[in-house]
Amino acid sequence: MYESVHARPDGESTLARQALTAAEYGYSGVVVRNHGDRPCEADYDEIAETYGIDVVDGVEVRADDPSRASGFVGSYREEKTVVSVHGGDTRLNRFAVEQAAVDVLAHPMDGGDFNHVLAKEAARNGVRVEFSLARVLREQGGTRVRAIQDLRKLRELVETYDVPYVVSVDPTTHLHLRAPRDLRAVGEVIGFSDEQIAQGLREWGRVAERNRERQSDRYVEPGVRLGAYEPGDENDQPSDTE
Amino acid sequence: MKHLPKHLRPRWRYLAVRIEGWPDAAFDRGDFQRHLWYAAQNLLGDAASADVDLTVVRFAFADGDGWAAVRTRRDEVDRARAAIATVESIDGQPVGLRVAGVSGTVRACEEKYIRSAPEITTERAVAFEGAERTAVVRDGRADVRLESAFAGATTLDL
Repeated sequence: MYESVHARPDGESTLARQALTAAEYGYSGVVVRNHGDRPCEADYDEIAETYGIDVVDGVEVRADDPSRASGFVGSYREEKTVVSVHGGDTRLNRFAVEQAAVDVLAHPMDGGDFNHVLAKEAARNGVRVEFSLARVLREQGGTRVRAIQDLRKLRELVETYDVPYVVSVDPTTHLHLRAPRDLRAVGEVIGFSDEQIAQGLREWGRVAERNRERQSDRYVEPGVRLGAYEPGDENDQPSDTE
Repeated sequence: MKHLPKHLRPRWRYLAVRIEGWPDAAFDRGDFQRHLWYAAQNLLGDAASADVDLTVVRFAFADGDGWAAVRTRRDEVDRARAAIATVESIDGQPVGLRVAGVSGTVRACEEKYIRSAPEITTERAVAFEGAERTAVVRDGRADVRLESAFAGATTLDL
């Protein structure tokens, strides 16, 4: 399972500390989701090797209006593995779900709204919506009640239209991280199934893997690769004589 | 009062909870207990809080690192985990909590999941993001003192 983190300078903890903590908590990877204007300069490979955890290069595009966001998505798409859009604004939510180039629409309910029209678009374009547990874990009282209501609304739409989704606690320090098992327990209390939370945490890893494959030089289009023939199906092994 | 016969006593489970905080965090067992109960009440309500119990039976915390053993009923372990996960800060001091494991006795909980000797903490001068700082270093992690706050780092960043 993967978690996506804001590392220094976008948060208070460095990427290394987030990765170390996540590895200890049982995650197999972290996705960097620093906002575009505050990139993380750390050496990802060194961190990955030292702490035995996958580190995925990503970005969370934050813009005031869709046209600028569109420019940012275009420029980051080539260099970053996971491109998210900082949601929570009605127009930006709309923009993000219409762009197949966007991997994740982050916290769409945090200040904005989501409806059946956006849900259908997201499902059609394969844009994952994020269930952000940040406000459930870190707010109290009325704010948290509304956050849980929002998650329920989003969940019902996601289930109805079969929208892909990810789950994150949106941590800005290593103290915000919670172990996958603990998150599943929280999810169950607020109405998610155990499997939904696990699935949402795994989805980060899946999107990273898919995009890395697409970024590799051998990739032409889905199902088409450059290079020598490799048997993909183990039931159909050709002989080694060729 | 005479204690209950064994088959009528509640079946307890003990959760080993790792506590992490900034090096200047200072709170005791009582503070932790209070916030744990608040968290359970806020998330689950009075009725379910009564079921999950969440009594802190062992507690140790110093220099931003510690652990606790928290008691819950055997069939309430999941809800207890959820309540623990929602403790975000204690008296305004942020904490990171993780349930490291669950045991049937306090002793097994201590032996299995709690490191016996606390990690040695040292405070030393470091270079961090191009400036001279002091950092509290423990077990590969370093909390760097900035002007008004700490930055979480590891020895890789120094």
